[in-house]
Amino acid sequence: MDREAATEQKTGDTIRPFKLAHQILSLTGISFERKSIIGFVELTVVPLKDSLRVLKLNAKQCRIYKVFLNDHYEAHFQYFDPFLDVCQFDNDTRNLGVYTFQHLFAALKTDPDNSAGELVVTIPHEASHLVAEGTALRVGIEFSLEQPQGGIHFVVPQREQKDQKELTPAEKERVHLFTYGHQNSSRLWFPCVDSFAETCTWKLEFTVDEEMTAVSNGDLIEVVYTPDMRRKTYHYTLNVPTCAPNISLAVGPFEIYVDPYMHEVTHFCLPGLLPLLKVTTRYMHEAFEFYEETLSNRYPYSCYKQVFVDESYEDFHSYATMSILSVNLLHSAVIIDQVYITRKSMAQAIAEQFFGCFISMQNWSDMWLNKGISQYLCGLYCKKSFGNNEYREMIHSMLQDVVKYEEEYGGIILDPSQPPTPPPEGSNMAQSSQNKHEEKFYFSIRNLHTMSPMYIEASYKKAMLVMRMLEHRIGQELLLQVFNKQLSLATNAASNKIGSGLWGHMLISTNVFTKAIFTVTGKDMAVFIDQWVRTGGHAKFHLTSVFNRKRNTIEVEIRQDATSQTGIRKYVGPLLVTLQELDGTFKHNLQIENTVVKSDITCHSKSRRNKKKKIPLCTGEEVDMDLSAMDDSPVLWIRLDPEMTLLRSVVIEQPDYQWQYQLRHERDVTAQIEAITALERYPTPPTRAALTHTIENEQCYYKVRCRAAHCLTKVANAMVASWAGPPAMLAIFRKFFGSFAAPHIIKQNNFQNFQHYHLQKTIPLAMAGVRNSHGICPPDVIRFLLDLFKYNDNGKNRFSDNYYRAALVEALGNTVTPVVSVVTQGTPITAENLSTETKLILEEITRLLNLEKALPCYKYTLSVECLKAIRKLQKFGHLPSRPLLFKSYSQYGHFIDVRLAALECLVDFVKADGKSEDLSYVLDLLENDPDPGLRHKLCQIIVKNPPFKRGFKSRLDNPALVERIWANINGGLSHDTRLRCDLVDLYYTLYGTKRPLCLPLTELAGLMNLTKPDIKKIKTAIPKLAHADNPNIKKETCIPKIKTEIKESTSSNVIIDNNMDVPMNVDVPVVTDQKLKEEPILDAQMSDIPVPKQEYYSDNSVSLPGMGQSGPIGFEPGMFQKETDATSTSSGKHKDKDKTDSSGVKMKKKKKDKKKHKHKHKHKHEHKHKEKKEKDPNKVKIKEESLLTSTIASIKEETLSSGSSTPSPNTASMGSGDIPMYP
Amino acid sequence: MDSQTSPYRKMVAMSVSSVLKEVGFDSSEREALGTLTEMMQAFLCEIGLLSKNYCELSGRSDPLIADVILGFVEMGFDFSSLEGYAKFGKHMVLPPLQSQQSQKQLSMLSAGAKQALPSYVPQHFPQFPDPHAYVRTPTHKQPIIDYESVREKAAVQKKDIEKALTKFLAKTSSTHNLFDTEEGNIFPLIAAKPSYPPYLSALLPQDQIFDPEDLDSDPKSLIIQQQKEHKEAQNAKEEQQQEEAMEEGEQNLNDSVKTDDSTQNNGFIDNPYLAATKMPAKDHIDVC
Repeated sequence: MDREAATEQKTGDTIRPFKLAHQILSLTGISFERKSIIGFVELTVVPLKDSLRVLKLNAKQCRIYKVFLNDHYEAHFQYFDPFLDVCQFDNDTRNLGVYTFQHLFAALKTDPDNSAGELVVTIPHEASHLVAEGTALRVGIEFSLEQPQGGIHFVVPQREQKDQKELTPAEKERVHLFTYGHQNSSRLWFPCVDSFAETCTWKLEFTVDEEMTAVSNGDLIEVVYTPDMRRKTYHYTLNVPTCAPNISLAVGPFEIYVDPYMHEVTHFCLPGLLPLLKVTTRYMHEAFEFYEETLSNRYPYSCYKQVFVDESYEDFHSYATMSILSVNLLHSAVIIDQVYITRKSMAQAIAEQFFGCFISMQNWSDMWLNKGISQYLCGLYCKKSFGNNEYREMIHSMLQDVVKYEEEYGGIILDPSQPPTPPPEGSNMAQSSQNKHEEKFYFSIRNLHTMSPMYIEASYKKAMLVMRMLEHRIGQELLLQVFNKQLSLATNAASNKIGSGLWGHMLISTNVFTKAIFTVTGKDMAVFIDQWVRTGGHAKFHLTSVFNRKRNTIEVEIRQDATSQTGIRKYVGPLLVTLQELDGTFKHNLQIENTVVKSDITCHSKSRRNKKKKIPLCTGEEVDMDLSAMDDSPVLWIRLDPEMTLLRSVVIEQPDYQWQYQLRHERDVTAQIEAITALERYPTPPTRAALTHTIENEQCYYKVRCRAAHCLTKVANAMVASWAGPPAMLAIFRKFFGSFAAPHIIKQNNFQNFQHYHLQKTIPLAMAGVRNSHGICPPDVIRFLLDLFKYNDNGKNRFSDNYYRAALVEALGNTVTPVVSVVTQGTPITAENLSTETKLILEEITRLLNLEKALPCYKYTLSVECLKAIRKLQKFGHLPSRPLLFKSYSQYGHFIDVRLAALECLVDFVKADGKSEDLSYVLDLLENDPDPGLRHKLCQIIVKNPPFKRGFKSRLDNPALVERIWANINGGLSHDTRLRCDLVDLYYTLYGTKRPLCLPLTELAGLMNLTKPDIKKIKTAIPKLAHADNPNIKKETCIPKIKTEIKESTSSNVIIDNNMDVPMNVDVPVVTDQKLKEEPILDAQMSDIPVPKQEYYSDNSVSLPGMGQSGPIGFEPGMFQKETDATSTSSGKHKDKDKTDSSGVKMKKKKKDKKKHKHKHKHKHEHKHKEKKEKDPNKVKIKEESLLTSTIASIKEETLSSGSSTPSPNTASMGSGDIPMYP
Repeated sequence: MDSQTSPYRKMVAMSVSSVLKEVGFDSSEREALGTLTEMMQAFLCEIGLLSKNYCELSGRSDPLIADVILGFVEMGFDFSSLEGYAKFGKHMVLPPLQSQQSQKQLSMLSAGAKQALPSYVPQHFPQFPDPHAYVRTPTHKQPIIDYESVREKAAVQKKDIEKALTKFLAKTSSTHNLFDTEEGNIFPLIAAKPSYPPYLSALLPQDQIFDPEDLDSDPKSLIIQQQKEHKEAQNAKEEQQQEEAMEEGEQNLNDSVKTDDSTQNNGFIDNPYLAATKMPAKDHIDVC
């Protein structure tokens, strides 16, 4: 508490007027058939003030039935979700600038760290005596989820016949579910305080079918059969205070494998994969040991669980005491490439147990600490197990990724919650520059739910780099001590009760961390934090040097010219320059104060290279060098900030021979990589020699060798005229891999040598890029590649060659160049008129692709590359460009890698030759695919390779597309933040932040309305409570399907067939019949009415029967007023519609809409005519069908009624609508 | 003359002809000459046979002139003019018996190199038959075992198998055509069919078959094992060398080895997921 007093700022853990002490989560009715869950939560809340009247909780897409306090006071509640219609006051700007603002506004409206929430519980007067400071208040909530769109994923097979209700036994072996979410999204599956800062202890209970296992957080206390002996209840308790976002659940028929080294660790996988699980988790205990040793702290929890699930949202996600990982991380012992990815993922997940799960954060903006620390620890582990070179290369590529992102989009601010302390002078300037940085993004970085996933990904990398920079500043040992201190404090706090007030120690924040560093080391890192954490951007240095022979000095000039460019800022401080001279390596610390810094560095060596002397390197080795290429300068090469202690990009100008020396003799892999990158610009024979030397050098790190091979391709292509001898690298490859007796035949595969394995994969790939003077791939190379296929023999190998063969296919694809067609354009391409080489390539590809149908290889790597190669052949005119193949491979049910490859091809096709229906096929998948992970990756693919460039005319660029994407970001994807923000990325890529050019100007929009009346009909919603006053109706049933059939006649007579049915006892013929009737009509309308109607408030705010309350309950203050205004103004504007602007009509609409919003993802278009039918109630005929339903567990009888959606006059008075009872 | 006739008979025929020429014939009919030759041969054989018999009768192995005379007598042949004929007639000298013109064996049947005649066998004797006739008969060609062709062959074979399989599969299932025209689909692609669950076939590949030990191999534990063995061996050595001095150190090392083993061999695992499911309590009411 004193901490907050010092900062005088409300943080995530203090902003709420109450604290959470304990929470019970009990899910009972988990149905895979219906994809539904019935549950109950009880939050034990300790009010911090006596006047607490309103509790704001988070809950999304849950249907709340009942809220009661201390078991017997029912509380009124209200539920709203602004993400259902982000830009509610603004229906036609389609401007991302406006959207960004509204998006942030919506996010803040429900942000628990803003003391807000979707679910507002009002404490009734009669229960007000329960509220007293420091006295626990129990808030129980009954809720259910039906067909959740996000947050929890049911992996069930897609049914061919919809009427099949029961899962077959074979299917039961595969079905499972798991929770997922983007950052803090637990609210999607249970009501909670969805903040990283609100920790409490947990009791978790899950009742599942007998053959299922429920894996969740904390200790499994017991498993008890239900009285009918058909189901089991798993009881978990989690005594370590944990925040809701770290709660998770996985249910499935898992195979259980207890780690043989650590019995506290349990692994779970789907049936049939146990052998892989054993291999995959073989060394996991080492990560535990490493972390415990490094942090000199015990693992904070008593157990750990790993669950491998299908269709995962991301590769891995760590939750308290458990992590949910993708099933595709599993591998057998014969696989090489996957091992590294998997081990790193598992190690990272474990590191996040310490920092991320056990230690949570005070604000979401402190996430960089947990991400940075856990990645840093994971990095140390990788360094230990994979080697220093791997580690340095990883850091280097991370740095480059961050630099690339920042230069493209803007500087990443790790902790935007607090501006950097302005320097004493020129504070205004600093402030404005900081503001400037923030404004640059097309999304708001002020909330987790508005940030672009690309930004988040880059910021994680940056967090890791900043943590590593800290390591350089204060030393690894001290940094680890800081971590240790955090953990020790947290461990101590965790063992205490909430009353101790120590739980705050379990939260980390930038300020706490800075102070901890100061306590441990005595160093004040505030400036560092301001510079790198609270300010975005990186430094960019440009170094030139001239040797002054007379004075034997080297004149170095370091410039920071680009400080005004995106993502780049000025750096002031020390900078290390390393000179490799003839007499050794010398370090010079330069002070950077200005944009241009000049410095004369005296050379140590009295440049005499004729003396045959060995040259000492920075590692202490002494080597012989051929110095003939040098001129009179004694400097062999120059490096800037060699240890990557800054976030920077560096451009060094030095002559090519210096780069060559650097490549050949510098021992640091990052220097070698930089040299290779630089040498691309110098296609000369010495460069060729240096690169060849590197590829052949067995002492060299394999990734450097692989990069050298790719660079040699470029060099060879640049010097094609003067290239002598066989194609580049052919000799090297034969030397390494040619068999002894016949060098042109490759040896039988033996991947025991790891370096050679990678070279064997990379060299053919690099060679495939070689082009002769005609710009085509030399026939020698193609023959060489085909021979590699022919003679490939893996019979004696102990490892699988699937990645190698995939690399060969990729290489084959890379040899393809645009067709030189003698045939006139327009003649169809047939198999006969292919060139011989294309025929050979195609034959190889088709054979391999066909073979995979019968004998699939690991992860279908071959199919993936074959599809890409076919797309290349299409793209370059060798094959007719057709999307059909890719469409069939992109369907649900194929392996995800294959699907993604097919989608990549498809997106590429759409860009080149696609028609609107192809694009719409892709967007359909994006919106409706069952696999949430795929949707995200697909969107990333589209963003990377957009169908058209901003500002360029394209036939795909039409208003319907704008509306479609807009509809999604505006409300269609309220349940999946990541995908919504992905689509914002896409929208930005296609249209920028301005109004899309293909849309008519706003002034003309009125004209448009005449032709497209329905676009303007979208109205904002007004909160409305469906009020049930019949005691028999316990709750409004969730209706999975609402069919609205609209027949529009010219006289605007509307017949609405409002049919609600529930799958349990649904009348099947009716449903299908209706669907058939309905779909063509709606499809036809889709094209000109692309905007689904979105409501602000949902139908879930159902009050309790028997409470007898009348009138509205608890609006968001001011919300109602605003909305009414907005509605009336907008409706007034469109004078031809909505003449009946009375609030009563709107109430009616609202009721109807509420019912439907839930299902709009399925039937987005069904809301379109809502208003229309209200216009003339006399002409509206409404058929109602209600069905009595009962849940499988027959817990409650649920009465269905469409009464609340009937626009009967008495619903005009808000909140008093009576629902006819259908027993 | 038939080439098949024996050289002896040829010689007899030649001598008959020379006698005929001596007598004054210029030519003779083939049949007549044949008859004369036959008679001559029969006569010579008869006389030879009788001479041999008489010589054997006298207990000798080689006939003498007396035996021949007795033979003539036995045959009733007056040989008194023979001496005069031999001494005074001017006779043609027949060429010596020509070394057998080697009759070429038909090459189609030859197998292996024929063995040359040993030195003690006159050159006109027939050659040895083919070695397979009396040594052995190779029933197959020696395999070609040079690396290149072996690899070539294996590669071709593998490709053929794969081709045949994919062709078969493509013929028996629905296919996808990369081209617009239907005819001449020489590159049919088997249509993709979703499998359920998709991950299973991807994670349990079937393209290669590995030894179970490869699938279960654990290179790291092997290395550790080796190191341990190495260490133990060293320890043993040390033990021998400094048995008394290093007693304490030994103790520690042994301990560490023991603890390593104990983690592995612990039979009972205390893990809640392995525990049995409890029966519902009678009075326990489930929370819905």
